[in-house]
Amino acid sequence: MQPALRLALIIGCAVLGLFLPLLLGGTPAIYSAAVLIAIFAVMAYGLDTIVSDLGEVSLAHTVFFAIGAYATALLSTRAGLGPLGTLAGTVVVALLAAGILGLITLRLREFVFSLVTYAVAVVAITVAANWNFLGGSDGLRGIPAFELGFLGYRAQGDAELWPVAYALLLVTLYLMRSFRRSRLGQAAIMVHLNPRLATMSGIDPQRTRLQVFLFSAPITAAAGWLYAYQRAYVSADLLETYFLILMLTAVVLIGRRLLLGPLIGVAVVQIQEKFFSFGGYVDKIILGTVLILVLAYLPGGLVGMVQALREASRRVRDRDQTAFPAQTQTESIRKAGP
Amino acid sequence: MNLTQQLVNGLVLGHAYALIAIGWTVLLGVARLVNFGHGQMYMLGAFVTWYSVSRLGLPYLVAVPIAMLAGVAVGYVMQRVMLQLTLRQDLVSIMIVTLGFGYVLHGAAGLVFGSTGQILETPLSLIDVYWGDLWFTWQDIAIIIVAILFFALLKYVIERTGVGRTARMVAEDPALALLAGIDVKKVYLGVFAFEGAAVALAAALVAPRTPILTSMGFDEVIVTFVVVVLGGIGSITGSYFAGLALGLFTAFFGALVSPAYTTAAAFAVLIAVLVLRPGGLAAAPGSR
Amino acid sequence: MSAILEARDLIVAYGGNRALAIPHLSIGSGELVGVVGANGAGKSTLVNSLLGWSRGRPRIAGRVRLAGEDVSPLPSFERVRKGLLLIPEGKLVFGTLSVEDNLLAVGGAPLGEGRRAYSVDEIYDLFPRLKERRGHLGAQLSGGERQMLGIARALRLGPRALLLDEPSIGLAPRLVSTVLDTVKQLAATGLAVLLVEQNVRAAIKVVDRLILLERGQIVTEGPAAIMRDDPRIAEAYLGAHVA
Repeated sequence: MQPALRLALIIGCAVLGLFLPLLLGGTPAIYSAAVLIAIFAVMAYGLDTIVSDLGEVSLAHTVFFAIGAYATALLSTRAGLGPLGTLAGTVVVALLAAGILGLITLRLREFVFSLVTYAVAVVAITVAANWNFLGGSDGLRGIPAFELGFLGYRAQGDAELWPVAYALLLVTLYLMRSFRRSRLGQAAIMVHLNPRLATMSGIDPQRTRLQVFLFSAPITAAAGWLYAYQRAYVSADLLETYFLILMLTAVVLIGRRLLLGPLIGVAVVQIQEKFFSFGGYVDKIILGTVLILVLAYLPGGLVGMVQALREASRRVRDRDQTAFPAQTQTESIRKAGP
Repeated sequence: MNLTQQLVNGLVLGHAYALIAIGWTVLLGVARLVNFGHGQMYMLGAFVTWYSVSRLGLPYLVAVPIAMLAGVAVGYVMQRVMLQLTLRQDLVSIMIVTLGFGYVLHGAAGLVFGSTGQILETPLSLIDVYWGDLWFTWQDIAIIIVAILFFALLKYVIERTGVGRTARMVAEDPALALLAGIDVKKVYLGVFAFEGAAVALAAALVAPRTPILTSMGFDEVIVTFVVVVLGGIGSITGSYFAGLALGLFTAFFGALVSPAYTTAAAFAVLIAVLVLRPGGLAAAPGSR
Repeated sequence: MSAILEARDLIVAYGGNRALAIPHLSIGSGELVGVVGANGAGKSTLVNSLLGWSRGRPRIAGRVRLAGEDVSPLPSFERVRKGLLLIPEGKLVFGTLSVEDNLLAVGGAPLGEGRRAYSVDEIYDLFPRLKERRGHLGAQLSGGERQMLGIARALRLGPRALLLDEPSIGLAPRLVSTVLDTVKQLAATGLAVLLVEQNVRAAIKVVDRLILLERGQIVTEGPAAIMRDDPRIAEAYLGAHVA
C-alpha cells in the first residue's frame, strides 16, 4: 500500500475513533466506558514495553499508575496546578521513582527483579493507606475538574473528558510505534530473545532494562494522571491487584507486540465488566482465568491461536507431499561393501 | 516495653515465618519455580480451617489436614495447568500464571467465604499461658513445635532418603535426571503439591493470631520472599534462621517504632542486603 | 543376530530445516557401532532423537525399536527405564550429589528378562577408583572419573542399548583408550552400543562398524576395516596417509 494512502487511512481511522462513542449511542455509560478504556489502555501500554519487548515482568507498574494519580491529586489540590502542570509533575515523579527502582534492581536476575517489584507494590499499599500526607485510608478528595484555562476548555463529566482521553491514547500509540522502531526498542528485543548474542553485539542488557523502565513508567503514570481527574479522588485502592491483572491480561490476550493489542484487550475486559458483569467476585474469577488460560495454552494470544490453526491446516495439506530424501546414494555405497 | 516479651513474640513470629516460607524454599530450590499465588494459598488455608471449625463444627485437629488437602489440590491443579511452561522454564509466563491463580483464589474465596473479617479460634489459641511477666498462648507453642519438627523432618528427607535424592537430582539438572530415568513431571507436580500442603499447614497454625480476610496474603508473600532470599535460595537451614531473624526484627520494630510499617521495614532491610551484597541473586539481566 | 536397537525413517526437523534424516539404523547385541562426522553433522541430534529428547522443539518422526518393542510413543524417561541409555556429552554426573548418591539414586525399577542391573558393590568392583572416591561430590571428580561414573550409573539401570555421546572429550589420550576399551568390554557382555565420537582414530580401533554423518544424513557406512581405507574418512579425519 502506498505510504500516502496508508497515512490517509490512519488519519481517517483516528478521526473515526474520536466519534466512536457517539456512533455507539452517546450515552453517559458509553462515554464512561470509552474514557476508562482509553485510560486503562494507556496504563497497559507502559507494561507492554516491559513484558512484550523486554520480556520481563514488572509488577511495580501499579505503583507508577498510583504515583501519577497521587501526584496529580497533590499538585492540583495543594499547589493549585492545572492539568499541564500536574502532567509535568507526574512525569517527573514517575521518572524519579523508576530511576530509583531501576538502579536498585539493576543487577538482579529476572525473577528477583519481578519479586522486588511485587514487594514494592505491596509496600506501597501499606504506605498509601497509612501515611497522612497521602490522605491515609480516606485518600485525597476534591480534585478539580480538568480545565485548560487558556483554551477555555473545561471537562465536566466523561463525555467532555473523552477527547482528552482519546488524545492521550493516540499519543501513547504513537510513542509505542516510535519506540519499537527506535534503537532502544530493537535493543530490548535482542536482549529478550538472545541475551548473550545481544551482549556480543555491544548492547548492555542492564542499561537497556533501565532505559526501557524509564520509558515505560511515565506512560503508565500519565494514565494515572488522567484517572485522577476522571474519578476526582484518589486512594490506596488504586494499588489493588485488579489493575495489575487487567494490565497483564490486556498485554497477552490479543497477542504479543501488536500495536493495538493492549487497547483491544482492555476494551474486551472493560466491556465484559461494565455490560456483562456477573458480580465483583465472579468477574475476578473470570479475569484471572482468562489470564491463566491465555498464558498456559495460547502463548501467542488470540491472534496466535488463529495463526496456529491456519498453520496446522496448511501442514495437513502439505503432508502428502513430503518425500523422503533419495536413498539411492546411500544404498549404492552400502552395496559396494566388502 | 518488656524485652523478654518481645523476645518471645519474636521467636513465635520467627517460627511462623519460617513455616510460611518453607513451601516456597523447596519450590524454588527443587523446581526453580516461583509462586505468586502463595499469599492467596495461605489465605485459602486459613479460611478452609476457619470454615471447618466454625461452620462445620469439626475439631481443629481434623480441620488442619483438611486445609492441607485443599492446599495439595490447589497446588496440584496449578502445576498441572502450568506443566508445559515449567518444562520449558518459561519463567515470565509462570510468574504471571501464578499471579492469575492467586487472583482467582481471591475471587473464589470472596464468593464462598464473604468479605468480612473472621477470627479463627482454636482450642489452643484460647488457652493463655502466663509465665512470670510473659504472656503467650498454647497456639504459639504449637507453632514453634510444629515448625521445628517440620524442618527437621524435611531436612532428613532431603538429605537421607531416596525421595530427597530424586528431588536434589531434579534441582540440579532436570535434563540429566530424565536420562537417569526419573519422571521429572511427577517431581514438579509433587513439589507444587508440597508447597500447597506446607503453606496450608502454616496458615492453619498461624492464622489464629490475627483476624483473617479474603483480601489478605500479600504481606505473607513479602515475608516469604525476605526469608527465602536472606536464607539462601533452596537452603532449608538457612530459611529457618532467616525466619527467626525476621521474626525478631519484626517484633522489636513493631514495638519500638510502628506496627503498621513492619513489612515495609523488613522489605527495606532486604533491599539493602540485595543492593550491598547481591550474592547469588545478582546475575545481570542477560545472563543465565 | 536380531537387532537390539533399530530406528527407521528417523527425521528431526526444526521448522523447515531437516537436521537429521536416517532411513535405517540397526545395532545388534554385542555390536559396537561408531558414528563420526564434523561438528553440526547431526551426531548428537541422532542419539538425542533415539531417546525422544531434544533441544528446542523440533518435529521428530520415525520409529525406534528396542529389543523388538516399539518405544516411539514412550517419553524419554520411560525409554530409559526400558533399557535405552544415553551417556550425554558434557554434564554427565550430578555435581551436588556424592559418588555414592549418584549411584544409589538410580535403579530399583523392575527389569525385564535379559537385562542385568549392576549392584553398587559390583560397580565398585568394576571401577575401584569410584569406590575410593565414594564420599566425594560429583563436582570434585576428574574428567576421567566422571566418565566412569556416567557409565557406572548407566550400568545401574540395566541397559540393553547404550548410547555414548563423545566420551573422549576433554580426556587425556591414555584415559581415552581406557574408556573406549571399557566400552568395548561392555558391548561384549551383550549390549548394543552406539558410540558417537570426534576422535575417529581412537574410535576406529574399537568399533565393529562405522557410520559417517554429514548434514544429518548417512554418507557412508561399513565395517571398520573397510572404513579405514575409505578416502572420505581417511582424508578428513585420519590424515592423508593411514597405516
